[in-house]
Amino acid sequence: MKTFARHLPHYMLLFGILLAGFAGLVIFSYDKNFQFGVAVATSVAYVFWGIIHHLYHKDLHFETVLEYIAVAVLGLTILFTLILH
Amino acid sequence: MQLIKFLRHLFVPHESNNQKAKILHSESLITIAALLISFQLILNFTGKTFPKVLGYASNISPSDIITLTNQQRVANGLLPLSTNSVLSNAAVAKGNDMFAKGYWAHFAPDGTSPWSFFLGFGYKYRYAGENLARDFSDSSSTVNAWMNSPSHRENILNSNYKEIGVGVVNGTLLGAQTTIVVQFFGAPLTGVPSIPVAQAKEITTASPLPKPTLAPIPVANTPIPSPATASETTTYVSPFASTKNLSLGIIGTLLLVLSIDLIVVRRKRIARIGGRTIAHLAYLGMILAVILILKAGNIL
Repeated sequence: MKTFARHLPHYMLLFGILLAGFAGLVIFSYDKNFQFGVAVATSVAYVFWGIIHHLYHKDLHFETVLEYIAVAVLGLTILFTLILH
Repeated sequence: MQLIKFLRHLFVPHESNNQKAKILHSESLITIAALLISFQLILNFTGKTFPKVLGYASNISPSDIITLTNQQRVANGLLPLSTNSVLSNAAVAKGNDMFAKGYWAHFAPDGTSPWSFFLGFGYKYRYAGENLARDFSDSSSTVNAWMNSPSHRENILNSNYKEIGVGVVNGTLLGAQTTIVVQFFGAPLTGVPSIPVAQAKEITTASPLPKPTLAPIPVANTPIPSPATASETTTYVSPFASTKNLSLGIIGTLLLVLSIDLIVVRRKRIARIGGRTIAHLAYLGMILAVILILKAGNIL
């Protein structure tokens, strides 16, 4: 929890990004193209948040970047498969 | 014993998995994504090879759609639309045409416009509009989806329209059994100064569309397959529901494993290279919330 408290401003930004993405996906549910755009933008923002966050804390490694990309790819795949239906 | 070791390796941080559950490793996550894509390909293949296997169960009736549409109009200070059987027949013909030609659009691949169905059934209009929906389970969610879309809402709440006709048609579209709902709006030429159809001033549609076809196309003369009723739909596997359930299972498992990871790493004070577990939890939590809210159904 100490780590979380120390990174609170960063996490607040991340939660803001994710909340905006969630709102965009729900509000624009009638426009699938827009939903695709919101899903990609949110996932890319998540990866960049991870890179910048670890860069700021001087613990950025190639494996870490790969991990954020892998989580984002999985999340995007799930959203795409559902939006496509 | 071997099974327990395997499960621990898969789900709990341990020496065997470099202090991170194997399922959380990047290659495992990419593998899961690849498996999900493969599942979608199998669904598509199944739809094309065995068209009677996939489908969406629906309980939609034209009268409910009309009632709900009129409720929305009255709630917004507009007069209700009167049901016109000619428009309803034209809407059913449009639905059948979509199944017969295999398209999901306002215009058929051969260029047939929505307005040709109006004119083909002898409905000369001053104003005309069309809303389309498919894969919905009930009338209420169909009308709600239209009301949430600005362009479709504009059609429903357009004061120029006086009459409505709704066609609910079942069939196989793009490999899956589904129900298409066609909502036709119109204001007839009768009772207004005679204006040739070709000079109709305004056509309001669900999405930006070209001006209506000027010459009536005799759609009424084309054979119309008898529409199946919603109750006749035989649904075995819903592509959306199966994908949603699988996605919920994957995300639920990952969230659980990430939570275990968070606790174990804190307790054992494990130092390792990797992303922030809380960040992953937040991102996948957002995906979970979206999965829970997303519903089947497309509008056009």
